[in-house]
Amino acid sequence: MTEHTTSERPQRDVQLTVNGDAVTSTIEPRTKLSDYLREECNLTGVRVGCEHGVCGACTVLVDGEPVKSCLTYAVQVTDSTVETVEGLSDGSELHPIQEAFHEENALQCGFCTSGFVMSTKALLAEHPDPDDEEIEAGLCGNICRCTGYSPIYDAVYRAADAMEGGD
Amino acid sequence: MSESAPKSSEVPDADDEGKRYTGTSMRRVEDFDILTGRVDYIHDIDLPGCLHAALVRAPHAHAAIEEVDTSAAESHPDCELVLTAADIEEHYQQTPGRLGFKEWALAHDRVRFAGEPVAMVVAADRYVAEDVADLVDVSYDVLDPVTDVYAASDDEVLLHEETGTNLADRDEFVFGDVEGAFEDADNVVEGEYSWGRISGVPMETAGAVADYDSDTDSFDVHCNLQLYTFNGELVYESLGYPAEKVRLHVPENIGGSFGTKIAAGARYCALAAMASHQLERPVKYVEDRIEYLQAGDSHSCEREYSVRLAVDDDGTIRGYDVSFMDDLGAFPRYPLPQAVKPLSVLSTSYHIDTVRYEYELYLTNKVPQTAYRGFGVQQHTFALEMTLEKAARELGVDPTELRRQNLVRPDEMPYELPSKNIYDSGDYPAALARIEELVDERERCEGGLLDPDVVEAKREEGKYRGTRPAVTLEPSAGVIDYASRFEMSDDEIEANTREDVASFPEHLAADLRPDGTVTVHLATSSAGQGHQTVVIQLMADGLGISPADIDVDYLNSAEAPKDFGAAASRMGIMLSGASVGLADELATVFEGAAATHWGCDPADVTYADGAVTRDGGGDSLSLADLAEFVDDDGHTATYGYENPAFDLPEFDDALVDKLPTYPGTAYCADAPIVEVDVNTGHVDILRYYSLHDCGTVLNPDIVQGQVEGAIAHGIGGALLEEFAYDDSGQPLAVTMFDYLLPSITNVPEMVVEHRETPSPFTVTGAKGAGEGGTISASAVIPTSINAALEPLGVTVDTVPVTPDRLRAKLRDEVE
Repeated sequence: MTEHTTSERPQRDVQLTVNGDAVTSTIEPRTKLSDYLREECNLTGVRVGCEHGVCGACTVLVDGEPVKSCLTYAVQVTDSTVETVEGLSDGSELHPIQEAFHEENALQCGFCTSGFVMSTKALLAEHPDPDDEEIEAGLCGNICRCTGYSPIYDAVYRAADAMEGGD
Repeated sequence: MSESAPKSSEVPDADDEGKRYTGTSMRRVEDFDILTGRVDYIHDIDLPGCLHAALVRAPHAHAAIEEVDTSAAESHPDCELVLTAADIEEHYQQTPGRLGFKEWALAHDRVRFAGEPVAMVVAADRYVAEDVADLVDVSYDVLDPVTDVYAASDDEVLLHEETGTNLADRDEFVFGDVEGAFEDADNVVEGEYSWGRISGVPMETAGAVADYDSDTDSFDVHCNLQLYTFNGELVYESLGYPAEKVRLHVPENIGGSFGTKIAAGARYCALAAMASHQLERPVKYVEDRIEYLQAGDSHSCEREYSVRLAVDDDGTIRGYDVSFMDDLGAFPRYPLPQAVKPLSVLSTSYHIDTVRYEYELYLTNKVPQTAYRGFGVQQHTFALEMTLEKAARELGVDPTELRRQNLVRPDEMPYELPSKNIYDSGDYPAALARIEELVDERERCEGGLLDPDVVEAKREEGKYRGTRPAVTLEPSAGVIDYASRFEMSDDEIEANTREDVASFPEHLAADLRPDGTVTVHLATSSAGQGHQTVVIQLMADGLGISPADIDVDYLNSAEAPKDFGAAASRMGIMLSGASVGLADELATVFEGAAATHWGCDPADVTYADGAVTRDGGGDSLSLADLAEFVDDDGHTATYGYENPAFDLPEFDDALVDKLPTYPGTAYCADAPIVEVDVNTGHVDILRYYSLHDCGTVLNPDIVQGQVEGAIAHGIGGALLEEFAYDDSGQPLAVTMFDYLLPSITNVPEMVVEHRETPSPFTVTGAKGAGEGGTISASAVIPTSINAALEPLGVTVDTVPVTPDRLRAKLRDEVE
């Protein structure tokens, strides 16, 4: 992000493990994790919907915990392990959560979907067999403007069934 | 959670008409790239050497611009360009508007809403672009703002001094002897209802990536506009270039629009293109969420209704008189027809012959309006349902019985309104009866949400439950020719003839590729509706080939016909009609090419199931074999599906009179079970029942998704969402903490039942499905709240029904 600029801008080193790969960069300390992942790592599956922590489209996992990457500076999470939606599928093989969203029609425009999928991964890690209340608690930080949410419940249940015994 | 249609990933057997895919819930082809994060939305389009823009926005609602000092910004080492209104005036043109208005892409002399763009700054990345934008110093002389329609109607402060008034437009339509009906009726019920300023608020904001090419002196503009082939003039006329020099491209997925991106984003396309032209480098601008909420050219209707209903003691409705004032914001834009689209459902599901319909559209210091799902119909439906609720109370009759006895009956179908649109088909009384039955069976029973004992016990806790079902309508696939009535005088409309009517067809093109697969090209953008999937289903059936052998892409605006695109609940009808026609057209081309190759009469060649066969002989060619013999000059085949309302003589009167025609009228009967906490003013929807009929269902899961998603929008409009302003014209909802979208915690379980009454007017029998839930939910939720509060004698009259509004009512009227 900084190579084109001519002004003096502060720089910091950041090193992360992103979807299993070690990544080291020198960046402006004000770089949000969302922008770092999108622009430095080319992981544009991290969607930027509000940049103030409400919509959840930018949700990624940092050391397994769901984090709104728009409210996190990349330098805050140096030395951490980051997972994005791009790390879930194996080639053309969808992860069971992705497959469940597909089968249950739990996406339309898809802009929120990466965030929902990552929040679901964190939810199922904590509650492998969730009930409605646990799904609500796990996904209340993500907004979907298209589906009306009921297929998202169905997708979480389907994924939970498919992942019985871990993923 | 909901009771949805059965899933079907497997390919079913063909039915008698050869249909294997249409009508099944074939899984969406759009999903894989979305789910893996690979799909590119506008923000993800990355051109080599691309620069990034930020906007300087006005902090005042109304102010004269005294000076724009760009010197500090331009001296920043990373500043590539600062663009102001003066630069635009020197090099470019105004953006065409409505009612004779034109706009500059950057505020010129005066700002008319808080957040209006005043300057654009371009730099290497968005972070530094925003740094530089902070250095642009604008001096303002602050003026008094106009912040509602009542202040606007005084004309004491004018938005546009040269026009002499803030009244942008008014009109009145009188059908039948309205005054006589009101004089003769036993009762006249009057009401006043307010509809808060809301909009679609898709998850993806608007943006553009523009790339000027000096060699050809032309532009490629990647954008997420809805109707990009139709509204392209907003971009190319702003640039002062001909249409063919400004190619608008849409990505395969837009991150939601719901009507909003018809106007929202056009300004950004023009500005990014101007900057790219100046710098001869690609320039990207994507608004952030705060910009979207504050000033993203994205708000929609805000209406004050005054209504009268003439009704006899026996419940017969004699006449309806509705007028409203709508707050357009600072400029009239394309979506003006939101003011008259309700004429297409003038009396909604009810038989009312005598109606007066009047509107006044005012200019204020707010964000100009764009379109939003429902397009003016939800406000109209809300006002009428609220009036019926009041009428039932004043007459002391059962509200559901009052509705039932006035419904249009199935034996009246097709039913012509006094305003000349025609309802195609449906059984509204049966729908109302069924939704009542569902609620009775499941909720007004022991242990149900409306078990009388439970309802009584809840009241002891201050929680009041109720529901009020109604049948509401979704007009679909409009011939949007009526939009031009706003620029016509009464005399010009009077002189209009059938030959003057523009047709608004839907176009598709297809290419047979060397490997025998088919590519279908859409001339519309897609924002989650599953257009690609539905076209593949229909084309697979039409051609008798596998869906895997069909793919779908998008024409750019210079290649595509300019007629219209995805709006007005059109695509179920129009894309399906176009797909059926395109498949027939392709079959004819295949037969002709084979006949030429074989030297025989095309009548002796038959195309079926992916191969052409010479009748009576053994000759046969697969599509892959045939490909080399098919003329590859241009597309293999194109097809334009004419709008059914344009084709059917029944609609001629309406078309000639420039009245809205919508050939498919979908309907639903909805019953939300609401619970009002009178201590907090909070409204909870405990469960939402809907019976939905959109004619022939092309893909049950996609329809289910449209229905449930639309209901969620209606819930937001009824309870949560509002672009409120303070007295100085400052917007109060500029974050998503303030503009509240429905979340998983407040969208209830939905029980959706489908009926399928095919439209006699459309090729596939389909009707629209995208707007009905929104239209219905935001009407039946407030009436259900009034039903719940009936024991207290409290009624709401304004949406959204927020806790503070409801508490104020309860304080004033009960405590």
